[in-house]
Amino acid sequence: MEFADLNISYSAIAPEIITSLTGVAIMLIDAFSKQGARRTNALVAIIGFGLTLAALAGLWTGTWTPFGGDYFSGMVVVDHMRLIFSFIIVIVGILAVLLAGQFLKDEELPAGEFFSLVMFASAGMLMMASAGDLVMVFLGLETTSIATYILAGYRKYDVRANESSLKYFLLGSFATAFLLYGIALVYGATGTTNIVGIQKAIASGAINYPPLLLIGAAMMLVGFGFKIASAPFHLWTPDVYEGAPTLVTAFMATGPKAAVFAAFLRVFAVGFSSPTTGVGETLQETWVSVLAVIAVLTMTIGNVVALTQKNIKRMLAYSSIAHAGYALVGFVTGDFGPVAFYLLAYAVMNIGAFAVIQMLARPGDRKTEISDYAGVGFETPLLSFSLAIFLLSLAGIPPTGGFIAKFFVFRSAWESTPGLRWLVIVAVINSIISIYYYLYPIIVMFFRPLPAGFSKPKVGAGVTAVLVLTLAGVFFLGLMPDRVLGALNQGRGAARVAIQEAFR
Amino acid sequence: MIPLSWYLALSAVLFSIGVVGVLVQRNVIALFMCIELMLNAVNLTFVAFSRFLDQTTGQLFVFIVMAVAAAEAAVGLAIIISLFRNRETLNVDEADLLKL
Repeated sequence: MEFADLNISYSAIAPEIITSLTGVAIMLIDAFSKQGARRTNALVAIIGFGLTLAALAGLWTGTWTPFGGDYFSGMVVVDHMRLIFSFIIVIVGILAVLLAGQFLKDEELPAGEFFSLVMFASAGMLMMASAGDLVMVFLGLETTSIATYILAGYRKYDVRANESSLKYFLLGSFATAFLLYGIALVYGATGTTNIVGIQKAIASGAINYPPLLLIGAAMMLVGFGFKIASAPFHLWTPDVYEGAPTLVTAFMATGPKAAVFAAFLRVFAVGFSSPTTGVGETLQETWVSVLAVIAVLTMTIGNVVALTQKNIKRMLAYSSIAHAGYALVGFVTGDFGPVAFYLLAYAVMNIGAFAVIQMLARPGDRKTEISDYAGVGFETPLLSFSLAIFLLSLAGIPPTGGFIAKFFVFRSAWESTPGLRWLVIVAVINSIISIYYYLYPIIVMFFRPLPAGFSKPKVGAGVTAVLVLTLAGVFFLGLMPDRVLGALNQGRGAARVAIQEAFR
Repeated sequence: MIPLSWYLALSAVLFSIGVVGVLVQRNVIALFMCIELMLNAVNLTFVAFSRFLDQTTGQLFVFIVMAVAAAEAAVGLAIIISLFRNRETLNVDEADLLKL
């Protein structure tokens, strides 16, 4: 290989560089400031994310780097899919930083580590979105996971947080080992770890030993399935989401999930999609069918178990499992557009809902049972009406973003793959079931008597900003989705595959 | 020369021992060792393929896996220590405040 073949371009990885350096800068500022510089650190984190957004916009317009190429000998790609998922990740990061101020102040936790861990986790997520090679997928996944293991246990004197962190760590590493074994077998079968290279190897039929490829793909499916919390690999989710600080739960349920979906889509919808050869056709038909079954299981288990939950964080954990199932319905079309739109809408409404829960739960997350919400409706109108809107959006009721996202996913699956229309029907039935448990907290908030001794939570500026932004986002995505959809449609065809033909 | 299939069989066996260990062990440290065993089984697979495909890609991947596993071990042990400080136990069955 010539040195020029490496195709080095630092602007192609500018978003990742900026987020990592901001993380390091926050650690340094924290080390040299006298008493925990919470405000300064939050400001630096916001500036870091702002610069990352600027770098992403620069990549989108092709100002510094030609659009649509791959760099560092195929490690990093610059295309629509990467940039759209990167935008979602940065939005999640900004909302998490805005929420963190009040959380850290109320619970008197150290600020520097928190913000730098959020930055490092975001850098890992951005790497996953930009990965053109399985090495980058692995590296990004682990960077994200290691940072979020610590964030989950950030309240280190709380036994529940310890337990959440431990469970997340053990099951996360277990899943990573499966993913890695899958990568090793796929590497052995195709002789490359580059995702496009794998596609070419399968298309040309140059597979060393076909069963290795199939077993490897199955192992990778298990690994990714764990990380996006799809059934039957979802058992860790409720425990981890309940025990972690509410803010961290909001972060884990949206950002890393979107990033893993990006890598998952890239590996499966690009790498394992060349149905020209015998083994390629078997592989593609198998993974599409398996994912369809996993999507049904994930939606059904998530929604049915959520019906019986008494704790609102646990209920939203099961709802998060169900939403991963809806996103998987979009996944089987092989087009990233519906999945990205769904995950964007989910991120906005879910972070909004968790922001309200964090405020109503009070420091230490003590009041998270749904019965604790009795009668708070007219006492704290800002919080309760926001929560009601977010829950309705999660249920998929118009005119919210949740409705358009579901509509877009279901329509695209219905139109593109007639062989999988039954999946859309199951998904619609599931979203009807889900309305019950989303409405229940609203009824409790507005129509149950208020217990004595209720004191209003003090809502700070950061949380207010998050609520305003997420409410605006929910209605923007619900009423004017054209702009976002326009951006998504530009990138169509890039990751689109011939699954439609296979299932016609 | 030892054929490739022997290496693959060995690493598959090691990986399976790790998986079974994770499922049956109850001590957190033992669980952790089983996960490391799984990662090392993967490394063996990578090195074997790398040798037989006559490429360096697999060996480079092993370096990255080792570095990441070290970072993961540091974080994992820290999490275990903070749990032990609060609960005085290393048995995962006793970490049961959150119902499974």
